[in-house]
Amino acid sequence: MELKGVEVIWNNLDYLMWGNFPGGIALTLIMSVLAIIFSTILGILTGISLTVAKGVMRQLLVLILGFLRAIPIIMLIFWTYFLLPVLFNIDVPAIATVIFALSLVGAAYIAYSVYAGMMAIKPDQWQAAFSLGLTQRQVILYVILPQALKMMLPSFINQWVSLIKDTSLAYVVGVAEFTFVATQINNRSMVYPTEIFIFVILVYFVICWLLDFTVTRIAKR
Amino acid sequence: MFDKLLAPHYLWWLWDGFLVTLAISFLTIVFATLLGFVLAIARQSRCKPLQMLVISYNAIFRYSPLLPQLFFWYFGIGNLLPLEFKLWLFDEPQIQLGFMVLKMPSFEFIIGLAALTFYSSAFIAEEFRAGILGVKVGQTQASLALGLTWWQTMRYVVLPQGFRIAFPPLIGQYMNVIKNSSLTMAIGVLELSYVSRQVETESLKTFQDFAVATFLYIVAIVIVGTLGNLYQTKRLQIRN
Amino acid sequence: MKFFTQNKVSRSLTVTALITLLFTANVAYADRLDDIEKRGEIKIAVFDSNPPFGFIDEKTNKMAGLDVDYANAIGKSLNVKVDLVPTNPANRIPLLSSQKADLIVANFTVTEERAKTVDFSLPYFATGQKFIARKGVLKSADDLKNLRIGADKGTVMEITLRDKYPTAKVISYDDTPFAFSALRNGVVQAITQDDAKLVGLLANVPAEQRAAFEISPFSITKEYQAVGIPKGETRLKEKVNQTLLQMEKDGEAVAIYNRWFGPDTPSAMPRGDFKIGDGQ
Repeated sequence: MELKGVEVIWNNLDYLMWGNFPGGIALTLIMSVLAIIFSTILGILTGISLTVAKGVMRQLLVLILGFLRAIPIIMLIFWTYFLLPVLFNIDVPAIATVIFALSLVGAAYIAYSVYAGMMAIKPDQWQAAFSLGLTQRQVILYVILPQALKMMLPSFINQWVSLIKDTSLAYVVGVAEFTFVATQINNRSMVYPTEIFIFVILVYFVICWLLDFTVTRIAKR
Repeated sequence: MFDKLLAPHYLWWLWDGFLVTLAISFLTIVFATLLGFVLAIARQSRCKPLQMLVISYNAIFRYSPLLPQLFFWYFGIGNLLPLEFKLWLFDEPQIQLGFMVLKMPSFEFIIGLAALTFYSSAFIAEEFRAGILGVKVGQTQASLALGLTWWQTMRYVVLPQGFRIAFPPLIGQYMNVIKNSSLTMAIGVLELSYVSRQVETESLKTFQDFAVATFLYIVAIVIVGTLGNLYQTKRLQIRN
Repeated sequence: MKFFTQNKVSRSLTVTALITLLFTANVAYADRLDDIEKRGEIKIAVFDSNPPFGFIDEKTNKMAGLDVDYANAIGKSLNVKVDLVPTNPANRIPLLSSQKADLIVANFTVTEERAKTVDFSLPYFATGQKFIARKGVLKSADDLKNLRIGADKGTVMEITLRDKYPTAKVISYDDTPFAFSALRNGVVQAITQDDAKLVGLLANVPAEQRAAFEISPFSITKEYQAVGIPKGETRLKEKVNQTLLQMEKDGEAVAIYNRWFGPDTPSAMPRGDFKIGDGQ
């Protein structure tokens, strides 16, 4: 560690924070929050469908989820960004592509957590709820889902943390999020990669840790 | 039309890269599972400092991106190794093992494997822990009350059930190992992503090149998923 | 359900794309030059992490560099606005073929193999491939044979080394700073880049460290950088070439060169006898 390297970070702090707005840490946070919200909603819906659906529909769903879990995220971002304009003549902005790709992949993982959570609830609870005269929708919404979500919260947090870290893959389509602007500064200053990337590790660590801490706190209430 | 395709020798490059991806992923899975298992057990121990140690280990490795971690090991720790040892590794020496001659992998491969293993073991440890927690507290207490030692309770009651609970997410982690291995290209491991960048640089056929790479990743991950499913239905379910 | 169809579309999309891209030729475009003039804007891909060719200026936080100056000059001569698209080696060709960029002006080295996929303009910059090592390590090119050499991904340096010095071990890193770190840590014994970039790199190193390193007295190639143009866009190519020749004629090319490599700059380096339009 050299003092000069810390100085480089200090001198560029506002560029690292905002970039040419939106960019830097701010953009990382914006993309993370949106991807977390979309993927969680989509994931819960898909998880329920996975529990309820039968036959061909279910197999199709399993296939799609399998595909989304199998493709490396960087490749999914790359293909959605570059193929949509070639194939369909629509131009999606890079930031939207990244949020879209991260939401899909995040949802695929969250869906399986939700599904596992719902399956883990004893069949007698389902039966008890049905015998009270509740419809399937009511049973899932008021009895099963709340328990499943609570049970799978650690797995959700894991997935959210992954999403935050995965926003750094946005460089492949030229989105100036935090890692990307850090790389720009690294290339300009040339000789302080260690200092700059220790700073990068620290920032992600703080963001992810704060997320875990806050969510766990709220959940305990 | 055929000049749009990748020339055959590029396909061979990609294939070689794919084999390196398989090798580093496989070794990571083996080592990270062992290490993750040890971490999960240590987390359950009643020794407070040991618990804290494992908790911080897991937090540090899980809450920061893998790429800067790779840089840290390669540039930071690589620097601390004694020079003679590094020079010996750089030569990629051949080791005589009975009848077999083993060629040492490259320095980059070894560092990449270590970094991936440390990173993945933290995630795997958490999956094991979730599995152990999934085993009802009552069962643990009952076994202890029956006079089994803490270790026996773990070995015969908690772990077998915990493993079954943890198995599906564990397969998910193994898939992640394959995907994550692509980041080792940053420190010069000659795996699939690295090679695909070489092909891009030389041929500029980016789409064709990345399509083949994407396809190979999907194949590898689907194979892991299928093997996992087979094992789960064959071995784990029947005993239920 | 909405989310369901979204999933499905994206999946079948990617699958079809994988297949079609492997087998289809480029979609036929309308003439790109007409497009650009109609839009009143040209999208030019430049590097944003490759000083002094293309990088983010510390004071303005905008892109600057030799390539950026060329990009702006091309826009000016076409009389259209310039939209600079940041690029890196992994996405420069996709940007071009998906029409998210009309030209690549990003320190783009011309090779025969590459010319099968893109068209190149006349070269506007010439470099030689050199090395940085600890003092005394590199006296002649023969010393390269048994070294571990660090290179940058996406550059042709690695290819050249592999061809000319197959016994040397080449390791490519993402960026020059990492290659230089590897050199400082002794993981590699030399690093390779354009002479232009190496001069700039050493200029950035604190003086007390700089003393330990030197740039190799020899260069192993002569390379030319040119503008990348979509294959078959002959009118656009013609226009770019005219612009470049005109820039050499009215002295703008020299002015741009001196702005980044002139005697007063940290990466001072004589332009030599290279002129735009001289036969390669």
